[in-house]
Amino acid sequence: MKPDSVAVIPCSGIGKSLGTVGREAAYLVAERFDAGEVFVPALAPLVLGDPESVDELFGSAVITVDGCRLGCARKTVEECRIPVAGSFAVMEAQRQHRNLKPQGVRELNDDGLSLAEKLADEIAEQARTLIREDRSDPEEVTE
Amino acid sequence: MSGVGNTKVGIIACSGEEMPEGTITRQAALEVLHELRPHRTVTICLPLFLAGGKDDRAFARLHPTITVDGCERRCAERATARFSGGATESVVVTELAEELDLPASSGVRRLDDAGRKTSEEVALHISGLVDELMSGDSGTEEVSADEGGLAATGTQSSVPCACGSSVPALEMEVGGRRLELTALPLVMEQYAEKGLKPSPDLAATLAREARVYNTLPDIDDEELGQALLDAYQRDYVRNARKDAPE
Repeated sequence: MKPDSVAVIPCSGIGKSLGTVGREAAYLVAERFDAGEVFVPALAPLVLGDPESVDELFGSAVITVDGCRLGCARKTVEECRIPVAGSFAVMEAQRQHRNLKPQGVRELNDDGLSLAEKLADEIAEQARTLIREDRSDPEEVTE
Repeated sequence: MSGVGNTKVGIIACSGEEMPEGTITRQAALEVLHELRPHRTVTICLPLFLAGGKDDRAFARLHPTITVDGCERRCAERATARFSGGATESVVVTELAEELDLPASSGVRRLDDAGRKTSEEVALHISGLVDELMSGDSGTEEVSADEGGLAATGTQSSVPCACGSSVPALEMEVGGRRLELTALPLVMEQYAEKGLKPSPDLAATLAREARVYNTLPDIDDEELGQALLDAYQRDYVRNARKDAPE
């Protein structure tokens, strides 16, 4: 089944900078697409396996973004038996951009915002691929 | 309560990413944690309950918790009830905003002025609840080793939680300081039941657990781990002998 939209689900971590970076990246991705193409659903109802929230995700491709290696977002989505089309880890992004030292939880420092931008680039690229797959009809491909 | 042993209140925000009220829960929780009641609160990640965060589940079982939900779906409250035995207090942003006649908020990535104002009000409300929960008697009560169910490696006492439950504590000396370590008898009991053998890794794990339940500034991790391991070893050996077939 091809997706009609992409859900980017960050991990909800609120104790450390990396969770904030993941969330910021998810919001940035959504802002780069038309309304409805990419959205950021809440993770909390999925923790409960809320049927309505799970149903809302069927038909969408799901990308998870986790702050740390515990992978709460990915695990939660998998627990709901929703296929994960892509999973990203902020820790991995940080490893690739060692010069960036994110700090701050409520407000990220400049390095944190830069890391979120770089991570958003990667996520957006995958989201674009997934959406293009959805629009495989040549008439609908405008690029 | 003596020494540096301490009881904290856990704050569990729903963090609902899709709505401003979710962002408000997160911002308010962080305001309480970092600014308003930094020494009395910790935050607990909601998804960690499901992803198997044993420390978080155990903390929520042993400590008073306040759930902060953005909307009437009450995901944080329901998840806490399901995975950790229920919240002590619960706050719902939409309900509190209506009660305080606060204007509607907008913005998820960045809150607008109304959202920031609501976040401040929610944070103040949570702080008040924290104070109420922490205002109970926090004295210690000596209990015998038999009553505590574990060997007397140090002195066991019980630390009454503000929620009314009594959490056993282990009194011991580390680096010349007398400490009262809340919940460590329970932790050691669980480890002993699992048959975990004393090892350097276990020492580090015990030190980490001790810091989950207690504020321990200026205590060396290695000294703490070794002291806990010694205590565990005595418990473990004693219990193992006691349980061995004759």
